[in-house]
Amino acid sequence: MSDWQLGIDIGGTFTDVVASNPATGEIRSGKVPSHYDDPITALVGAIGAVGLKWEEVDDLTHGTTMVTNAIVENRIDRVALISTLGFGDTIAIGRVRRKHIYHMDRLPKQPPLVPAERRFEVAERVDHTGAVVTPLTEAEIARVVVDVKASGVRAVAVCLLHGYRNPVHELQLGEALREVVDHVCLSHEISPEIREYERSNTTILSAAVIGRVDGYLRRIDEQKPDASNLTFFHSSGGMAATPIIAQQPLLLAMSGPAAGVSATVATMKTLGIERALTFDMGGTTTDCCLVLDGRAEISSDRELGERRIRMPMVSVHSIGAGGGSIARIDQGVMQVGPRSAGAQPGPACYGRGGTEPTISDANILLGYLAPGKVLGNAITLDRGLAEAAVKPIAQEVGVSVEDAASGILQVAHSNMARALNKVTVERGIDGRDCTLIAYGGGGPMHAAFVARHYGIRNVVCPAYSSSYSALGCVASQMSLSQQRTVNMSSDQWDADTIARIRAELEQAVTEPMQAAGKAAEDCRIGEVALLRYRGQSHEVPVADPLLDDPKALGRQFMAMHETLFGFATDEEWELSAIRTTAEDSRQKIIAAPGQEEAAAGAPATRSCHFPGTGSVDTPVLERAALCAGEVQEGPAIVEDEWSTIVIPPGDRFHADSHGHVHIEVREE
Amino acid sequence: MSSESKIAPHVDPFMVEVIRNGLSSIAEEMSLTVMRSARSPVLREAGDLSSNLADANGAQIAQGQDIPMHMGVMSFTVPEFLKLVPKDRLRPGDVWMLNLPSIGGNHLPDVKCIRPVFAGGRIRAFAISLAHWGDIGGGAPGSYFASATDCWQEGLRIPPIRVVADDIVDEEKLGLVLANVRTPEDCRGDVLAQISATRTAERKLQEMFRKWGPDFVEAAFAALHDGAERQMRAAIRNLPNGVYEGEDAMDGPDENTPGAMIRVTVEVTDDSITFDYSGSDDHVPEPINTTRYITAASAYYVAKAVCGPDIQPSGGCYRPVKVITRPGSICDARDDKPVVGGNHETCQRIADAALKALEHCVPERLTAGGPTTAGLAIFGAQRPDGKWVSLYETHGGGEGGRADRPGADVIRVHMANVMNTSAEVIETEYPVDVVFQRLRPGSGGAGKNPGGLGQERAYRMRVDDVSLTTMFDRRDVPPYGLQGGEPGAPFAMILQRAGEDTEIALPGRANLRIHSGDMVTVRASGGGGYGKPETGGDDK
Repeated sequence: MSDWQLGIDIGGTFTDVVASNPATGEIRSGKVPSHYDDPITALVGAIGAVGLKWEEVDDLTHGTTMVTNAIVENRIDRVALISTLGFGDTIAIGRVRRKHIYHMDRLPKQPPLVPAERRFEVAERVDHTGAVVTPLTEAEIARVVVDVKASGVRAVAVCLLHGYRNPVHELQLGEALREVVDHVCLSHEISPEIREYERSNTTILSAAVIGRVDGYLRRIDEQKPDASNLTFFHSSGGMAATPIIAQQPLLLAMSGPAAGVSATVATMKTLGIERALTFDMGGTTTDCCLVLDGRAEISSDRELGERRIRMPMVSVHSIGAGGGSIARIDQGVMQVGPRSAGAQPGPACYGRGGTEPTISDANILLGYLAPGKVLGNAITLDRGLAEAAVKPIAQEVGVSVEDAASGILQVAHSNMARALNKVTVERGIDGRDCTLIAYGGGGPMHAAFVARHYGIRNVVCPAYSSSYSALGCVASQMSLSQQRTVNMSSDQWDADTIARIRAELEQAVTEPMQAAGKAAEDCRIGEVALLRYRGQSHEVPVADPLLDDPKALGRQFMAMHETLFGFATDEEWELSAIRTTAEDSRQKIIAAPGQEEAAAGAPATRSCHFPGTGSVDTPVLERAALCAGEVQEGPAIVEDEWSTIVIPPGDRFHADSHGHVHIEVREE
Repeated sequence: MSSESKIAPHVDPFMVEVIRNGLSSIAEEMSLTVMRSARSPVLREAGDLSSNLADANGAQIAQGQDIPMHMGVMSFTVPEFLKLVPKDRLRPGDVWMLNLPSIGGNHLPDVKCIRPVFAGGRIRAFAISLAHWGDIGGGAPGSYFASATDCWQEGLRIPPIRVVADDIVDEEKLGLVLANVRTPEDCRGDVLAQISATRTAERKLQEMFRKWGPDFVEAAFAALHDGAERQMRAAIRNLPNGVYEGEDAMDGPDENTPGAMIRVTVEVTDDSITFDYSGSDDHVPEPINTTRYITAASAYYVAKAVCGPDIQPSGGCYRPVKVITRPGSICDARDDKPVVGGNHETCQRIADAALKALEHCVPERLTAGGPTTAGLAIFGAQRPDGKWVSLYETHGGGEGGRADRPGADVIRVHMANVMNTSAEVIETEYPVDVVFQRLRPGSGGAGKNPGGLGQERAYRMRVDDVSLTTMFDRRDVPPYGLQGGEPGAPFAMILQRAGEDTEIALPGRANLRIHSGDMVTVRASGGGGYGKPETGGDDK
């Protein structure tokens, strides 16, 4: 045993690994192709890619897109649903809103996750106060158990009306159903919150992936050396032990993006940054998230593959703009994305049959991507194909292909700035005060341009930016969150109920942590209260709420409302929910060593085209050879094997002693 | 610096799109501001609001949230407002408030706030926030007075008033407005949110003007209109030229009286399209009349959905679309006529008539009849402290079938797109229980591709003296089939008094009092089928 800690992120195409040895300070990173059908092999391969054997690994934290992909690609298990009598069709009715306003041709909403023949109803009723109106009888339980058994499913979801208020009937059903199926998901355990449609869907999706996750956990457990710890990276930005994942598989739904955001939190702590926006650009999408004072924004509602799920998750906003986004011009109107060339055929310059111009094609024409560069041993970038693809647009507008490529990027950057604006205005923050933290395949190439367009002055391209989610895994600490509906108004404050709910929530998040071996004194409890005026539907989150003192809590709420919306009144308000998080308070800081001396000799150059400047000979620097603290002026290209940083003319940049590259963006 | 003295700057297609993204971002920010901080349940749960940016002439350049009804109507709001309030009366820091249907409007609950945005000494743009207030006074809580025979019974009528001057709210004017609504606290929250949204828009537009220069940005507005117009003209050219006629009927005031007919002649001539509604029946003494702006909004929706769903809906998009109405008809009612339900009932029939006309032109692009009614039930109850709480609930039904697929179950179509309220939220916040919510079996019209199913939802009162308003259509005239498909089951609302089994079928436009234990069951329509059914006439 040699004390290695590993973070591994299994993505759709590549598996990233970052290994850290706290004893020696050594850090290694690697990238191997993902094995879609055999994730265990990918895991072992990733450990091998950094020259280690599993036996040498103390702690392995693992992020995975397994659950995300299963949901998005609809490869989920058949399950049964049990609902209150009269409410079995809730998931077929949904929220009644269509997705595409003007497209009559498109399906207005997804069909329900469970078809009618596997939706069962039971006679029972609990009201909104939690009182039992119609008791659930033994005969009714016996009847539905027979129906579920006959349906042949291995997993069942139970979601009863107001089950989050009083779970007595869900618990009774759970006990009986466990006799006949492998997995039972109860709505009050999966998503203990009001709104029957959202709670049903979340519970069903849990049941529909639990078998797959359980099988994976078992296989890993067989392979894993006994002395090596294994944890998973979950959607709200921390680690969770395998027993928790086995019960709550949807915790993995946003595992990868959450790990990238968590790495950002670690980088911010190292650099003393208070406000940041993440900018993670991949092949088809760009993800953004706001991080304030070391806390990532958490939201509890999102769509995944057009399915609504409700779980505390890092609030990552995705837009359809990535390297493969297609540019087109129609009747003189320009558009970039959301249509994407995807991985197949990919951008024209990949030479795999794509002919439509993409953002990557623009990058190669402008010199930001090196022509002839080989990606992942497979794709050689071809400038000629990129030029042929962009030429029709250049001709229609009447400009050179370089200017057309530059225009395409400007459009893409304005679209990304719109996404950054959205995630910040939702929180009443001026995004221009934030530092832009750029990672993913394309983030560092576009960050300086997007920052300038939006008015951000500081960009950081962190060390290991191309394996950033894996870094987030290895740098993470264990944490667990749970949220509970309260719905108590300020004029009917009941201190006993609040105290009871807080104690239950604290127990619900700390017990699994302690079961996973965390000492009680290392668990830091954090609370967020979600408050609103009577009648509002959107809650205002107040961190570290003074829940013992409703008057003080009211003042906290009003201050936050004023910040977010520019006004506050002293009307009645209500506490709609409490979210409690337990996290391991010990800190890990992981960084790459910076170089202390400048590399000898003049750097190579290549011709790059910049908006407003035109073509200039641009130095191409090796990222590993940047000398810490030496400030240089753009234009410049900084490359490593997996990523390219573009610094436009006029911007200044330097590497720091942790290997992060900082760009100071010139004001426009 | 005067831009009149020089040629408008050239803006290339890339910069036009860059500026469009910036404008859309501003409009999105406006909607987020209103939705998150508004009070009226209809805004917060259902999102019945819209945000708009217009150029100096009032033509639409960006919008936040797409409710097709609002979008179409708001393209008239500023131009009509400017006819009454000339530009020389507008000052920086103003916000004007209005709700008169005759000023580019639709119905009284939709209150608009307009802020002029100045740069270089003149108006360059307008920011408009529209929100559906939970109450605007009048004869019934929720301001849907079903038996209204004139416009004054429908609530407070607000001509353009300067409610904010020098960025300070005029509390006297606002006080007058709020004294005339049943939920003054909610409405105050709503209007402050609306004003705050226009202030955000002004700040962001000013940044844009500073960055690129107001003349350049204005030139981009013009280019946006021109681009959308070119795209729309090219899309219309894909329709076969011709004159196509269609009609559809509203439900009558009772089973024995036929309802008003909506008749349209659609003429496609090369790259332009005309919708002539002159042949429609006269306005009626019931709250289902519409303004000509609503009629135009419905025709715009049809043109865009049928020809170019992806075209950016700026003002230029609708330049090739001409809408003709006859003053005094149900599609262009006189100012004194009641309109509250026309906004979501008749507007849908206006779209239906045009879609049925286009069955003779491009049937493969169309969807058979769907729930073209809000299916609205408003439950109003007074709390012990005298405050009103109103549950405003719309009910989607089955979508019609199409040439390429069956209709979806329970959804909103065409001009509307507000959500439902969850049963658990209803039971928690209102003195109303939801007894069941389920699909309505057998309600989809048969066809090669059948219509989708409607829904059944039952509400039981927990208190006495609840005011119930119904406002729905498609009760007598069911959703139509296309190309030989059968119609869907019609819409119904049923009342069962406490302890009684008798089902009382409620009229489509009624205000009544119900009490503890009474149950109201909504049976929402199924979709029409598309194409002749392959095996007999069995329903789905």
